[in-house]
Amino acid sequence: MPLVRNPTPTVEPRAPDERKPVQVLASGSDEERWIAARSAAETPEGLSLLTHALAVERVPRVREAMFTALAKIATPESASVALPYLRSEDAALRTQALDALRAMPAVAAEHLSQLLDDSDPDVRLLACEIARALPTGDASRVLGELIEKETNSNVCSAAIEILAETGDVASLPILARCAARFPNDPFLTFAVKTASGRIGSSER
Amino acid sequence: MPDNSSKRVLIIDDAALVRAYYRAALEAHGFVVGEALNGLEGLEKLLLEPFDLVIADINMPQMDGITFLRTLRSKELPVSSIPVLVTSTEAGPHDIAAARGAGANYYLVKPIKQETLAEYAAIFCGRPR
Amino acid sequence: MTDPPQMTEDEFRRLAEFLYRRTGMVFTESKRYYVERRVWERIDATSSPSFSVYFAHLRSEVRDEVEQLINAFTVNETYFYREDHQLACLTTDLLRERVATKRPGDPIRIWSSPCSTGEEPYSIAIWLLENWKDVDTYDIEIVGSDIDTCVLEAAAVGIFGKRALMRLSPEVIARYFHALDDERWQILDDLRQSVRFTRVNLIETKETRPQGRFDVIFCRNVLIYFDDESRRIAAENLYDNLLPGGFICLGHTESMSRISPLFEVCRYSEAIVYRRPEELRRAR
Repeated sequence: MPLVRNPTPTVEPRAPDERKPVQVLASGSDEERWIAARSAAETPEGLSLLTHALAVERVPRVREAMFTALAKIATPESASVALPYLRSEDAALRTQALDALRAMPAVAAEHLSQLLDDSDPDVRLLACEIARALPTGDASRVLGELIEKETNSNVCSAAIEILAETGDVASLPILARCAARFPNDPFLTFAVKTASGRIGSSER
Repeated sequence: MPDNSSKRVLIIDDAALVRAYYRAALEAHGFVVGEALNGLEGLEKLLLEPFDLVIADINMPQMDGITFLRTLRSKELPVSSIPVLVTSTEAGPHDIAAARGAGANYYLVKPIKQETLAEYAAIFCGRPR
Repeated sequence: MTDPPQMTEDEFRRLAEFLYRRTGMVFTESKRYYVERRVWERIDATSSPSFSVYFAHLRSEVRDEVEQLINAFTVNETYFYREDHQLACLTTDLLRERVATKRPGDPIRIWSSPCSTGEEPYSIAIWLLENWKDVDTYDIEIVGSDIDTCVLEAAAVGIFGKRALMRLSPEVIARYFHALDDERWQILDDLRQSVRFTRVNLIETKETRPQGRFDVIFCRNVLIYFDDESRRIAAENLYDNLLPGGFICLGHTESMSRISPLFEVCRYSEAIVYRRPEELRRAR
């Protein structure tokens, strides 16, 4: 029968790139930069290379590989390289940065209180997603604290979305107070009602 | 109830409560609703089932709303020209310009009243109120 | 044994929303009773005193609880011609695209990873022999990989029981297997030797790289269980293992929307399939 061949290994190992990673990241093709980015986590000066390369990289999948490398390094420093991109005007970059932080939850959490205190409500809103990765009790506590002092109703709504998943009885009065503070936000009113329902029924 | 029967709206938003809120608004006005959690799932749903309108958020995991729009518009398929209403907490001129540039038909800033959403859905599905 | 306590509607919604976010699987109200029973099995298995405690445990993703729970919902048997609509898509659509730029005698490489005890790669081989008119035209290589060396050894031996063969017609069984006894059939030597089995951990680039680049990859029911970081790395590895324009197929409940933005989404027949983009020509 056909298809019967002793498969010979048809794989030619790719010749290793002789150039230094910094050279490849500066001047290589898309594919070469992608490969260099992927292995940057293993080189000693990887974090510094990634920081500089990310600032100028335009190709989405190369940027994605750089963010993955930051997540592999998984230190508070590598998380802090991703953080500024949460403020980007480019929605794709914001998503890539947040996804990278989601992939390094422990070190991202170390930056959380600073992010939830940021003067930019858009940053505080995205930071709520980082709280989602905390253990259930911590997430509820941190987001409850945020809601109590938050002046932007969209940020509150983002926090309430997560409390619908993690919240406990202690969250209920916080939610009620929040709804009272923003009576003119119809979505927030709906969100408080729905989240309170989710929480209320499972305290048995 | 206004007759929006058989008009199908796809809601793309990563917040479950937002999707529930829009669903309640649209179903109350007779629309049939589908959901997706991010731009990539939105594209999959559009490839598999017919819809008349998309309501898409901007900040979502894996694929944001702007990238979703660009990708959708660049495919040479009938579904590529479906009306897309972008909703976002972001209200800056840059975001609105980016959405328009990517091919959005309209842009609404959150929070949105349920009545408002249903009105715009009716308009973009071809039924002026 | 007493009836398990019932989940409240809101507990069910919490769980359904979490699972939808995490895996893309949708659990509607109509599935509630079924889900409840499985959840209470897991609550028992994890010695959780309540749904709340169990849910916190599930959210924290310790000890693969998401996988344990999903496995409680899904049928996990592996058998020949499982998800045969993907095999049909392979011959009707995917290979047609791949050979558009190939010449007779050119290689076609297909990867089944994870391959478990071999049903999937052997199914691909048999399906091609049975259904693809061009099976002789090209140099087809099928590789089966798994992290578990025990299943790989079993795959290489190629002995299967009745249940594994239940979807195959008697004619197909007669053509490609010989019966060892009433209960066991072995893949014919020629076919056994035409699939190469290798041990690979999908998260380790050092292990995935040497497998080379493929025209089509079947990577079913494994990616969705990895944590965020591992999902990204595995997706990048799989991208690296695809030729430009090559295809990757996931399990029917899985979606790249929960895994990675690297791949283009395509629809063929009734299936969603993903693709590494073609190389762009340099526009200069």
